[in-house]
Amino acid sequence: MAPLNAIEVRNLRRIYRTTIGVIRRRVKEVVAVDDISFDVAPGELFGLLGPNGAGKTTMVKMLTTLLIPSAGTARVLGFDVVDQADPIRPRIGFIFGGERGLYWRLSAIDNLRYFASLYHVEPEIARKRIPYLLELVRLDGRGQEKVEGYSRGMKQRLHVARTLLHDPELLFLDEPTIGLDPIGARELRQVIRNLQSEKKTILLTTHYMFEADALCERIAVIDHGRIVALDTPEGLKRHVRDLSVIELEVYGIPPELLDVLRALEVVEAVTVENRDQKQAVLVQSPGGSEAVPEILAALSGLRVGKVIVREPTLEDAYVRLVGGEVEP
Amino acid sequence: MRSVTLNIRLFFQGALLSYVALFRWLSPMTYLASKVLMPLAQILFFSFLGMYATGQANASFYVIGNAIQLAAVSGIFGVTMSIGGDRWEGTLPYLFGTPANRMAMFVGRAFFHVLDGMVGVVLALMWGVLLLGLDLSHANPLALGLTILVATFSTSGMGLLLGCISLITLNVMFINNTVYFSLLVFSGANVPLSTLPAWMQSVAWALPLTRSIAAARQIIAGGSLAEVAPLLWMEVLIGAIYILAGYFLFRWFERQAKLRGTLDIF
Repeated sequence: MAPLNAIEVRNLRRIYRTTIGVIRRRVKEVVAVDDISFDVAPGELFGLLGPNGAGKTTMVKMLTTLLIPSAGTARVLGFDVVDQADPIRPRIGFIFGGERGLYWRLSAIDNLRYFASLYHVEPEIARKRIPYLLELVRLDGRGQEKVEGYSRGMKQRLHVARTLLHDPELLFLDEPTIGLDPIGARELRQVIRNLQSEKKTILLTTHYMFEADALCERIAVIDHGRIVALDTPEGLKRHVRDLSVIELEVYGIPPELLDVLRALEVVEAVTVENRDQKQAVLVQSPGGSEAVPEILAALSGLRVGKVIVREPTLEDAYVRLVGGEVEP
Repeated sequence: MRSVTLNIRLFFQGALLSYVALFRWLSPMTYLASKVLMPLAQILFFSFLGMYATGQANASFYVIGNAIQLAAVSGIFGVTMSIGGDRWEGTLPYLFGTPANRMAMFVGRAFFHVLDGMVGVVLALMWGVLLLGLDLSHANPLALGLTILVATFSTSGMGLLLGCISLITLNVMFINNTVYFSLLVFSGANVPLSTLPAWMQSVAWALPLTRSIAAARQIIAGGSLAEVAPLLWMEVLIGAIYILAGYFLFRWFERQAKLRGTLDIF
């Protein structure tokens, strides 16, 4: 009988222990994943969203049998990730973002051939599947070239082809679009959509809000190793439904002025994005456009350009949940 | 049966691709030079040094010793880099995430280096014949070929073990060089074992190459395969022990990396 959930995580915890010092060695503990529980249904595209260091990659490593949890349990396709790793491995595929993890001195086709044999793909199936996958990730015609000559985006697309070689039921995509140019990232997102339409279960980690919003059916927002919210993208946006976002274009805002803004009663949260020579100050406020005069008054003396009042996005919900600065 | 077929395919495919991956950065001429000039340099250096110290009549002692010892170039450096390369390429998490048979994946890395090492030893013996008057007319070609195969097998076994150590140490070339140069002495390639202190002799018999070199000297002097068979069987056993030790270290490393979260750090 097929398991009810593709992934079941219960009170999962992972602590890393490192030693500091040579003579007087001290053990330092870092809790990367702290008592996390969630389920992913078969065929669902589930997102783990969080800032760098939130625990997303640690979670993926535990679910892909590459890291043993410190506590709690996790079942993938009905099998325990620690005691039953063998039946899990042929049925899952995974990607860790970035360029590494390929044999750079081999061609793309040789890389895929080797991984096909590691996943026990029959030679006749591999012979048909490799050209198909290279076409899927738009590397057809480049398969004979050595990977070391590929751009970052090409390498990441080759990772996608590699992970699909054995036609896995469940995919773990850990920041697959990180470092890609906008066109490359958009193409990769289209590949992910196509996989979703093939009813594959996908766990996607990202810190790009729009990516999670565009792709995921449900999102767990994770911060400091804990889930701070788990909902659909629309559900998450409801966290900030009572707020408006006031975007102010400024030129060189001093940090103390941000503190002045944060102290205002009409202000819920303030973040700054760098946009070329300018900055955008994003103020979350329950007051909407009525709060603008008070905010402008607090910024008196500062050159302010365009002012826009808009509905909150998933990114704004994320800022409220995580409470940190957003990368420009 | 199916799993056996799949593992055999993995063995040979992994063997070929890891070998290609290691040497593709070299142009054919550079590769050829490494196969021809480096053995020449070693043979000339030690043979002339030995002849200067002990007399012209002992040339074959040094030529044979160094020619067989050159199996360690492929067996140790080649195999170690083939395994250690996974650490630098960042492919370890992807390998350990596959259902592949670890023994086929691991031992396959050594296969082409055994063949490559045999070519290196034959070329080195040719230098000995051409430049230092090595006489192979009394040698049984089959017995000599088998001895060369056994020598490259046992050094590749040691290479697999050192390759695993390379996964957990920062400077594998330091270890490789130390072992390679130690073999120049301990294997009896350049010093008669009987002249070594007792403890060094004990170490020598636990290392690969010692018995292969002794067997090769006997065969080239006209000895039969039957006479050297005990030496070769023991050499095969030594090689197998190193392979098994390397394999278990490889599995231990995999387990530790998963426990400690060090798969990307090492």
